[in-house]
Amino acid sequence: MTQNVAENEARKSGKEGMDVYRVEINYRGIFQKRLGYNISHGIVYAAHSEGKTAFSNGRYSDDPQRNGIPCANFAIVSGSLGEEELEAIASAKMDVDEADVVLVLDDTMAKGLEPWGHYGIRPINQKVVEGGTILFVSRRKPAELAKLMERRPFTYRLAVLPGDRSFAGLWYQRDDNTDIRVLAAVARVAPHIVDMESVVRYIRGKFNDEKRVEAAREAYDSVAVSEVSPDDGMVWPYEKPALPAWQDFDEGMAVKSVKRGFKMGPRGQNRNPDFRRGTSRSQRPVIRFDTCIKCTLCWYDCPDECFDPTTDGLFDVNYEYCTGCGRCAQVCPVDDCIVMVDELKFDSNSSPWEDYTVDPEEYVRRMEEIKGLSREVPSPVTGMGERILERKESVPFKPKGGK
Amino acid sequence: MAAGLKEEKVYEREELASGTDGVAQAVRLADVDVFAAYPIRPYTGVMDRLAKFIADGKFDAEYIIADGEHSQFEIGKHASSVGARSFVGSSGTGWLYAMEALATTATDRLPVVALVGNRALDDPGAFGVEHNDAMLVRDLGWLVVWASTAQEALDTTLVAYRVAEDPSVMMPCAVAMDGGYLTHSEHIIKVPTKEAVSRFLPRYSLGRRVMHPDNPVSIAPQINEDWCMEIRRQNWEAAKRAKQVIYQAYREFNSVFGSKYTNPFFDEYMTSDADTVVIGMGTVSSAAKVAVSRLREKGEKVGFIKLRWFRPFPTEELRKTLSAAKRVTVIDRDFAHGGPDDGGVLYNEVRAALYDSANRPKVVDFIAGLGGREISIEDVTKMVELTSSSTMDEKIHWIGLREGTKGAAVENRRQ
Repeated sequence: MTQNVAENEARKSGKEGMDVYRVEINYRGIFQKRLGYNISHGIVYAAHSEGKTAFSNGRYSDDPQRNGIPCANFAIVSGSLGEEELEAIASAKMDVDEADVVLVLDDTMAKGLEPWGHYGIRPINQKVVEGGTILFVSRRKPAELAKLMERRPFTYRLAVLPGDRSFAGLWYQRDDNTDIRVLAAVARVAPHIVDMESVVRYIRGKFNDEKRVEAAREAYDSVAVSEVSPDDGMVWPYEKPALPAWQDFDEGMAVKSVKRGFKMGPRGQNRNPDFRRGTSRSQRPVIRFDTCIKCTLCWYDCPDECFDPTTDGLFDVNYEYCTGCGRCAQVCPVDDCIVMVDELKFDSNSSPWEDYTVDPEEYVRRMEEIKGLSREVPSPVTGMGERILERKESVPFKPKGGK
Repeated sequence: MAAGLKEEKVYEREELASGTDGVAQAVRLADVDVFAAYPIRPYTGVMDRLAKFIADGKFDAEYIIADGEHSQFEIGKHASSVGARSFVGSSGTGWLYAMEALATTATDRLPVVALVGNRALDDPGAFGVEHNDAMLVRDLGWLVVWASTAQEALDTTLVAYRVAEDPSVMMPCAVAMDGGYLTHSEHIIKVPTKEAVSRFLPRYSLGRRVMHPDNPVSIAPQINEDWCMEIRRQNWEAAKRAKQVIYQAYREFNSVFGSKYTNPFFDEYMTSDADTVVIGMGTVSSAAKVAVSRLREKGEKVGFIKLRWFRPFPTEELRKTLSAAKRVTVIDRDFAHGGPDDGGVLYNEVRAALYDSANRPKVVDFIAGLGGREISIEDVTKMVELTSSSTMDEKIHWIGLREGTKGAAVENRRQ
């Protein structure tokens, strides 16, 4: 703890000599909107109770939010600046330029974010400053998350608060304390922004419930902090699209659209290359082509038209465009044929049908290994958090294919 | 106040509030009778909050969802004509859809208060701030005022009712604020008590114009050339009277709430000995103030004016302050294609105000921040520099624009 304080003191005397701290809260559009707001509000109220100046805002361009699309809130805190000065420096902005703490409420966002068309797929750690912290709510080990993010030229910290991606606060969703647990984790990794005392004061003031205080303290102690060095992570494979100068596009904003086009097989349909939406996915559908009965329902029902018919009567899925809504898994009539699986278990968006046709048995073996025997109920809005069903065994490989 | 007497509380609590939250609080505190709604960002923020107030039993009003902005603003107007205090609002393209109702509310002299959360005009569909929507009512007999903080959003909405409903004014008032930057940014504000607000804001009375079965009146009859000019002249006079009422309203506001609105029409920041004065409206004031104070640290005599009331325009007051400067930097978060010298709206308003001045400073226009693009501290610093270096032929500058050289747009036009 004392070392933590010393580190933070060192961080304070950072850029511009001003103690202006920015917290970026990354969450899944709609599903985690209330959660995101609870956290940014909590930071402001807690900091305010310490006599600090603070304000918060949501990234305006995220609205109207769409299911699962990565969105962000911000909380800005300063110990020395007054309201007007802080506002002048940090307000009236659409986005933050940098963040001292980056919060990630769904760990699958480690794979990148594409909040809007022509934004490109951006790394989740894009805003984190040198010595700053990226904090995940996750069941993963720090190293697993670090390898998915872009390599940065400096050292920063990666903290993990054990927990599931939560939809608490969405409509009738049961409160699961994720908001106050995250506040406690912020106090742990950045006591110069809000300290645990003020977080507890905020929780008591809002809920008057000692059980929640206990939950917060438990969260405070359970945060695991590690360092990410310039060698960790990947070279970011996605380019940021360059927007044209005012002289360089047609007047009247008639933009080139995607020409309608279709042919059989993987990637057979023309799709918008400037907005892939795949980063809004927390789970992906895994398809057992060998048990598929070719009923067409997945292809027919997919709201994003992500399925491509193949010459053998099967339906390939394009993971670059799949939003992970789970509709295909819901309508598939075959037991365990389409199953929604945690996105972090995969490292490629390549065609699963192509994998399958190369070696069907090997594909099935590999997928069953990844899937294991636990099945998450594939509804994004369960009302009760994740429901897990345990299978006794996986469906055996059918070399002759489905009916 | 005698010692021992407890000072009356004018604020009940502090809370984290966005600009739209501030407006919603003011609508609740002003005890508005009719709230007409049609969803559009950022007005939806006010709708959400007021619905919650009603659900929680904290606010009693007719909450009417219209089938579009045109009906919504008609509802506000009609409610006002029967003596109900009413509130409406929209932004950008929705505000334009209500344009007929906006015009008639003003000519009917009904003191509706409306939020216009500034938003770029479609097409293409855009959400970010641009001031053109609010400015479209500048000549119609609306009072137009800009708020630039969440606290100001609350305060200004209360002041708007006080001014609009003053018997010597009776004009609708548009409370404008930057979409996104203010409407969606959350700051700690002080929420006044209802008692304090009722001391500041008298009840709304339309007097003998009120439409009621016991007082049958016909509003907005058809007229010919025999009436129109006299009616316009009445409205012209009321707009002039509004200026004094605004002074009075802020004096009263300050005395009840202890606020520090010294000049109701605009805030001056380091202007007293300034050679260059920057002027702008809305949230750009934050960046402008920091830019000015940094330039002051370097010894440059620069000041800033945050213009609050746009209608009525504070002509004499601005003339007095600006004519003492050598140069004026105008920040236009709007466009006025093909206008005088191809400048923005505010630019030409400021130039008109300075025309009768003995000392006419150089006025340079900066079109910036359109469609919600950020205006940074560096942008404002650059504007100040360009104000000095610009020749008479370089009156208008676009700041923060992606500049290129290829000229494809020109090529395509020729094809």
